[in-house]
Amino acid sequence: MKRILVVDDAATVRLYHRNILESSGYTVDEAVNGIEALEKTLQMQFDLYIVDVNMPKLDGYGFLEELRSHDLPQAPAMMVSTEAGARDRIRALSVGANLYLVKPVKPEELLSHARLLLGEAET
Amino acid sequence: MNPLLEQFISEARDLLPAIGEKLLQLETDPTSAELIKELFRLVHTLKGSSGLFEFPEMTRVLHAGEDLLDRVRDARVAYSRTLADRLLDGMDFVGMLLDEIEATGGINAAHADNSARLAQSLRQLTGDSDEAKPTESGSIAANSAPIGLDCQQPSNSSSSVDLSEIPENLRMQLYRDVLAGAPLTWLEYTPEEDCFFKGEDPLFLMQQIPETAWGNIAARQAWPPLAELDAYRCKLVFRALTTAGPAILHELFRYIPEQVCIVAVPATALLQPCGNENGEAVLEAESHARSFRTIVQTQREILGLPDSDALLPGRLKSIAAALAACLRAIGKTGLLAGLDAALEQALSVTKAGPLLAWLDEHLPEAQALKTAERRAEVTLQAGAQAAEPSAPHPEAAIKFGRRAEDSISSIKTVKVDQVKIDRLMNLIGEMVVAKNSLPYLASRAETQYGLRELSREIKAQYAVVNRIAEEMQNAIMQIRMMPVSFIFQRFPRLVRDTSRKLGKEVNLVLEGEDTEADKNIIEALADPLIHIVRNSLDHGIELPDSRRAAGKPAAGCLSIHASQETDRVLIEISDDGKGIDPDIIKRKAYEKGLIDEAALERITDKEAVNLVFAAGFSTVEVVSDLSGRGVGMDVVRSAVEKVSGIVSLDSEKGYGTRIRLSLPLSMAITHVMIIESNQRIFGVPIENVVETVRVSCAAVHTIKRRLTTVLRGRIVPLVALNDLLALDEPQQLNQDNEMAILVVRLNNDLIGVIVDDFRQTVDIILKPLTGILGGLPGYAGSALLGDGSVLMVLNFKELIK
Repeated sequence: MKRILVVDDAATVRLYHRNILESSGYTVDEAVNGIEALEKTLQMQFDLYIVDVNMPKLDGYGFLEELRSHDLPQAPAMMVSTEAGARDRIRALSVGANLYLVKPVKPEELLSHARLLLGEAET
Repeated sequence: MNPLLEQFISEARDLLPAIGEKLLQLETDPTSAELIKELFRLVHTLKGSSGLFEFPEMTRVLHAGEDLLDRVRDARVAYSRTLADRLLDGMDFVGMLLDEIEATGGINAAHADNSARLAQSLRQLTGDSDEAKPTESGSIAANSAPIGLDCQQPSNSSSSVDLSEIPENLRMQLYRDVLAGAPLTWLEYTPEEDCFFKGEDPLFLMQQIPETAWGNIAARQAWPPLAELDAYRCKLVFRALTTAGPAILHELFRYIPEQVCIVAVPATALLQPCGNENGEAVLEAESHARSFRTIVQTQREILGLPDSDALLPGRLKSIAAALAACLRAIGKTGLLAGLDAALEQALSVTKAGPLLAWLDEHLPEAQALKTAERRAEVTLQAGAQAAEPSAPHPEAAIKFGRRAEDSISSIKTVKVDQVKIDRLMNLIGEMVVAKNSLPYLASRAETQYGLRELSREIKAQYAVVNRIAEEMQNAIMQIRMMPVSFIFQRFPRLVRDTSRKLGKEVNLVLEGEDTEADKNIIEALADPLIHIVRNSLDHGIELPDSRRAAGKPAAGCLSIHASQETDRVLIEISDDGKGIDPDIIKRKAYEKGLIDEAALERITDKEAVNLVFAAGFSTVEVVSDLSGRGVGMDVVRSAVEKVSGIVSLDSEKGYGTRIRLSLPLSMAITHVMIIESNQRIFGVPIENVVETVRVSCAAVHTIKRRLTTVLRGRIVPLVALNDLLALDEPQQLNQDNEMAILVVRLNNDLIGVIVDDFRQTVDIILKPLTGILGGLPGYAGSALLGDGSVLMVLNFKELIK
């Protein structure tokens, strides 16, 4: 069973992602900020991260930077942002995001990316 | 309602007040970057969530607000009061929409106008009033932007060039040509609006492009109405696809390189998702394939980023993980070993090079769409990054060691339905009553059954049960405790709006916001407090001019202070306004028949100003729409007294007014004193009781046909409880010929109530009288005692009138 960690401070967005991903049979975990996400990462291994940018305490950039600078299994991460600007995109990619998506992400788009990043053939 | 929407509403309800609060905090500290950042984040989060639903009316306003705050954050737009006003209006509107969504599940289309208007008013402040293009498009083109409109917005997914308009068969043809090695170039040309005045001819220029495979001309934005159309400005965008090489195009457009975007088109970009207007799909290009391309290209892009940083190993591993997953997904597992080797090599030299080389060799489609523009962005960004070292976020410095206590706090609170807590409260109430029966049982064991030992054991056990019950009661009351900030938080907004409406300047000082009291008390306090605050603003604090004339600072000060004193909450509302003139109050009270002529002479100034609490008293000459709606301070008084509170007022003419409210911490359990009269027992709430004394009959005198006595140098009028209750019996005296007098406080006056005897005090759960008994005003309610009997609790305020 593939395990995905959704990191977002907005409960609505977490639920949205959870609904989409769970309906495709993935196990979804949630974290409300970067700190909590890091903590969960230390406790268990995830196959994919879906990370928001703006969060209190430790934002998405900070989380990815922290994650990528540690000797942990490095699962792919999608960063989901409302900013369509090139600077934000480059910043996300340079701190360790593997994909940069602009909100709101359509369910089919999210799923097809997730499937590929989890190494699953199309259905 | 679906759970996602429910979740959104609940979240929005948390976010909106927080946004309002931050805006008001900003008002006092407009330069705080921290506050602005936090405010932006809150609005941003709310907008992000609203975007998941089809609520364009809401999202539009939030989006405009977010854009505006973004400018404020970057110091491109200065914070101002107008800005706060409009944002607050916008948030109010969002709150109203939320109510509507909650009630009806949707938003009435009639709100579209308001939404557009609010968004427009926010956009005006942003300095960008073009509703249709929220990003700074139109203006940029006229500025010295390096690239054209659409190219300038790098898209998140496959390409920055939209080829979906190209007919299917042409695309198919081009795809084959490109696969065969032919060059294909995309050009997008956004002429300056005033190009016609510079001798440029955009159409002619486009016609010069050789080997045009496809082209179109489109309006950049929706056309304005004909009457407003400026035919002398070029508002077009030209696009073309040519099989000529980029070099020719660069040559052609060499004088206006900043207005064109020239991109070499790879074969894969011609693959379009199925389901477009052209009908069938080119090859099997559905979302999976598109995703694959996006992911692989993005990994290629990441590998091209400057790699001299500490994140590199982690980044490389994640890229390899993403690529490996993609390879597995499309069944190309044969490449995995090579990928692993490339990763190992890259890690060993800490450079992206080897992985990049592998990628270019085995997945050449990754190179696709490395547009010139994007490269420029990358190098530009790289330069910027080199200039400012990494980790610009202070939070990013947080290391693993420190997190534990930070994060646990987020799961320490549990939201519980109020009903469940009320049920718990009722249960503990019954428990308190039930445990009170144990002492009766103990005394019966002794007196009726002669079991002294058992009686003693029951008493010992009672002590244990009593202690636990008390602790439980305390714990449950703690749950129901709420900080007064629950009501205080609305005052900054209330004071701000009201004072602006009245043209007054007021500084609000809130203190002791974390003082706690029972939820019911807090809720009961809200309306009286609002009324008091409005009164202060309306009648207390003067207009700036008259304040200056009186030698006071132009801005008035309104302070609300909460504190806890033993088992009461004290709330003090004071202003430095014009105060209350006792003479005016006395005259009014006399005119309204509230006091007689004798009282007019007799009462002190302090007593006079407290007359504002008398029913039917209102000093306002002109009824304003703020306070003075015919309800005066008597409403405040009765609301406070309803929860066993006391209200008092002092005022000094010219210097201000101070109102104090004193309320019990909790009203779930009432402490009463039991008294006896005419062989019946009654309860009296302990907060009414000042003292209990026994006075010799000789010390009781009749003054003006009323019984009185002197207690501690003060004349106290006496009434017999039997008279009050219309029981036709004289009060009993004890063997020393003394009267038992219960001294109670009524509206700041002391009155002695003569009873037969005093008994113990008990904790009871006071139940209001219902049904036909509800019409008996002399009783506050009834309660069950431990022995199963019913105790009637007296309401002296009604009895003594």
